[in-house]
Amino acid sequence: MKKLLLVLAIVMALCPCAFAETDSEYVKAKGVLVVGITDFKPMDYKNEKGEWIGFDADLAKAFAESLGVKIEFQEIEWNNKILELDGKNIDCVWNGMTLTPEVKSSMSCSNPYCNNAQIVVVPAGKAAQYDSIEAIKGLSFAVEHGSAGNEVAKENGFKCVEVQDQASALMEVASGTADAAIIDSLMAAAMVGKGTGYENLTYTVALNSEEYGVGFRKGSDLAFSLNAFFEAGYADGSIAKLADTYGIQAALIKQ
Amino acid sequence: METVIQQLPVVIGALNEGFIQTLKLFAVTLLGAFPLGLVIAFGSLSKIKAISLTTQFIIWIIRGTPLMIQLLIVYYFPGLVLHNPIWGGGEHGRFLAASFAFIINYACYFSEIYRGGIQSVPIGQTEAGLVLGMTKGQIFFHVTLLQMIKRIVPPISNEIITLVKDTALARIIALQEIIWAGQAFMKGSHGISGAIWPLFFTAFYYLVFNGIVTVLLAKFERKLDYFR
Repeated sequence: MKKLLLVLAIVMALCPCAFAETDSEYVKAKGVLVVGITDFKPMDYKNEKGEWIGFDADLAKAFAESLGVKIEFQEIEWNNKILELDGKNIDCVWNGMTLTPEVKSSMSCSNPYCNNAQIVVVPAGKAAQYDSIEAIKGLSFAVEHGSAGNEVAKENGFKCVEVQDQASALMEVASGTADAAIIDSLMAAAMVGKGTGYENLTYTVALNSEEYGVGFRKGSDLAFSLNAFFEAGYADGSIAKLADTYGIQAALIKQ
Repeated sequence: METVIQQLPVVIGALNEGFIQTLKLFAVTLLGAFPLGLVIAFGSLSKIKAISLTTQFIIWIIRGTPLMIQLLIVYYFPGLVLHNPIWGGGEHGRFLAASFAFIINYACYFSEIYRGGIQSVPIGQTEAGLVLGMTKGQIFFHVTLLQMIKRIVPPISNEIITLVKDTALARIIALQEIIWAGQAFMKGSHGISGAIWPLFFTAFYYLVFNGIVTVLLAKFERKLDYFR
């Protein structure tokens, strides 16, 4: 009996029963907004000094400043983003995240702020022959597990292998273990073609169009604060200027 | 090839940084698991049924489930279920959680090796010690322990070499060890994107380090030769 009481006491001590607190109060009380990211040019990546920059990173810094808290970037394993969020290891996922039905049902999301598409990456020599959805139907695809590209492949009934991330999908194509990959157009623009690590690859067909948003814990009020922040930033032109810096102005969504 | 030579200094720098995390996790796990394993071995050898059965039950759980799942449970369980993320979201917390999971896991494997070593020392030596009026503690530390160590060096060496490579599992909770650092170049890291070779290059680090470990363990084993 004593042991049972002890266990109960430990569990209660570990569990600060502060469920009444809103998410913005929680973040403000600890004084830091922890942003879950992956290394994803041009949204979040490190400069020569090792600081996180990028369209999303810079915007996140400005948002944290508007809340009056410090910012911390934490690289996460993308498959575990919901675990990280619900476990309070991070406070938001802000990393060019496509607003899929799965994301929307498990997080409180901001309004979309950027357009994206899922596009097909193939070896440059075969680009001419794979220029339409009909032409690529029979190929074997590599897609990131659980990604928007994964969804599109399923919708189109493509034969595909699911790999850990978009970069691995590109490696599958480069090494010839898959005929084509389906990845984000913003990422493809930065990583495929002349002057990149994948000079022999190119992109052809766009399979859909979709939108990026920021995800907070389910029920968080911070999503509303961010929407207001987006509106103000769009109105005064500061977001457009930032988009210009990182070359994604064409993809920006009006707030 | 030219680009590889250009990228080499940056990649080596990043991989070294990752490898330091790998080595830290390796060292902390050994330091924690060696003594804890002995405690667990005593537990499973205990004459008190409640203690030995409980210990054996725990060993069954730990050895019977994948280390990767144990890492996920240790790191995410406090925040998800108890609503208190005790480890925190930063790199430091991830390291502590990984160390915790690795120490428990390896201590259970070590304990079984220790148990085999202890039981392999003939019971006659213990009986002789008792006849001479030695206490159980004296018998263990002066008679059994060193003989046991001599006998368990080969199987423990196996576990140590496996541990060097198992540290790579910690990337599941985003601990940025060497494989993570190597893989990051595929996507983009330190201004290099789409480079595949750093990931494969990490194997070289493991190979060299395991070479050093193997030599050291062989030396240690020779030092204990006087028990023959």
